[in-house]
Amino acid sequence: MRDFSLKSTITYKLYRQIILQLEDFLSTIGDIVIYGKEVLSLIFKRELDWKAIIEQCARFGVSSLPITLSIVGMSTVIVAMQVAGEMVKQGAGNYVGMLVTILTVREEGIIMSGFAIISMIGSSIASEIATMRVTEQIDAIKVLKVNPIRYLFVPRVLSGILMMPPVLVVASLVGIIGGGVAAHLASELSYRAYFESVWTGLFIKDINVAILKSIVFGFTIALISCVCGYNAKGGARGVGIATTKAVVWSFVGIVLWDLLFSIIFFF
Amino acid sequence: MGIEVKNLTKKFDNKTVINDISFKVESGEILAIVGFSGSGKSTVLKLICGLIEKDSGIIETSGDIAMVFQYSALIDSLNVEDNIAFALKERKDLRKKYTERQIKNIVKEKLALVGLSGIENKYPSELSGGMQKRVSFARAIVTSPNIILYDEPTAGLDPVSSTLIEDYIVRLKEETHAASIVVTHQMSTIMRTADKIIMLYNGNVVFTGTPQDLMRQDTPYTKQFVTASLEGPMTMLQN
Ligand SMILES: Nc1ncnc2c1ncn2[C@@H]1O[C@H](COP(=O)(O)OP(=O)(O)O)[C@@H](O)[C@H]1O
Ligand SMILES: [Mg+2]
Repeated sequence: MRDFSLKSTITYKLYRQIILQLEDFLSTIGDIVIYGKEVLSLIFKRELDWKAIIEQCARFGVSSLPITLSIVGMSTVIVAMQVAGEMVKQGAGNYVGMLVTILTVREEGIIMSGFAIISMIGSSIASEIATMRVTEQIDAIKVLKVNPIRYLFVPRVLSGILMMPPVLVVASLVGIIGGGVAAHLASELSYRAYFESVWTGLFIKDINVAILKSIVFGFTIALISCVCGYNAKGGARGVGIATTKAVVWSFVGIVLWDLLFSIIFFF
Repeated sequence: MGIEVKNLTKKFDNKTVINDISFKVESGEILAIVGFSGSGKSTVLKLICGLIEKDSGIIETSGDIAMVFQYSALIDSLNVEDNIAFALKERKDLRKKYTERQIKNIVKEKLALVGLSGIENKYPSELSGGMQKRVSFARAIVTSPNIILYDEPTAGLDPVSSTLIEDYIVRLKEETHAASIVVTHQMSTIMRTADKIIMLYNGNVVFTGTPQDLMRQDTPYTKQFVTASLEGPMTMLQN
């Protein structure tokens, strides 16, 4: 027999889904703020476990570097290849290095490193913590009266804060050097002309803003990944959902920060 | 005093999972909570150790509470030694109490107690299910708890491993003089470990008594449980 009750109507189901999604969205934002505050307060109270922090830093730096370097390097190479030929033809060859540098330091380097870190580190943090949640390891930690935020979040978030700037610097350097090689190959622009103009594109303010951004991005990615993993529910499916959520929210998070930074510093 | 639970009630969403239950476990005593899947047994343990909040009722406990999880819940990124020493190394009030050497000795002693000497450097994934379970026993008792809660400690183990685990449950009770609760639906575990039993069905206590009372099968509930029959007052369709 068909069910004609209110709860079976498509409209009801649709609204219910929307309300559930909205609830989940708001509670995720709430959790990010609450846990973010707790993590910062533990960091400021020096509730730190240096062994765990160093372990996480090594993981963050070492495992992310190859992919970060490739992504930042390649995107810079692509830009250099595309603009060098044309600029040399127009007599602006002396500005190729400057252009590539400004672009890398202000935007490409940090946003591409962010994307690389999300895919390498964010997803692995989220799936690791989510697995600990669904296999009751986090419950076990709580029953043993250990604070899971101190044990799990603090080392990961701190490693994000500490490691994102060096990763960014190395990736940007590789990008700028790679850009020079690409420009040389694409347009026979001399290395000398390229690297001399690199200096004219380096501004202290840009570098400071980039470093600040990298700290904020590292914090954001690690925190969102921890929170999404921590709130996982159910079995293997729950781990998958949590990981996807961490990746999507981190992407949106850093793009929003990027926008905010641009408005504050370059508007 | 060990554990006293009075009129405990818990709802998930709008479904009553624990409905006004009361029981008491003294120090040195083992209570078995039995019942079919979904009857609310794990929820009772999680309420007692504070992993979930009760809706109403009273839970009185004395001292430290330890819990042994159904699937051991060992931290898989830590080796056996660090798992057992976890509370000693990470808990705020214990963190600086012991030297590295003292911790090593405590771990050694607890491992010997569960018959697993010398596996300190192995990782949980390298151990069998029964060994993981015994390591999780060692981790639970490292803080000398006054209360030990076991969630289906013998589920999924072969009969010999089960017997071994049952013996350790009794042995830990004798060593620590803790009040213990064993959640199980395995007859062997009930008979070998329990001093008394409560049976849960849909969040209600439907039987209270000793293992001998249970075996007498003189109520419809005990009869159905012991004979594992489909016929009787308990149906599995609610879930
Ligand atoms: N976190 C939860 N949210 C909603 N329902 C739950 C939750 N935990 C348990 N339940 C429900 O409570 C009932 C009892 O579960 P549980 O205590 O795990 O049973 P048992 O351990 O006896 O098999 C089940 O119907 C289960 O679906
Ligand atoms: Mg259960």
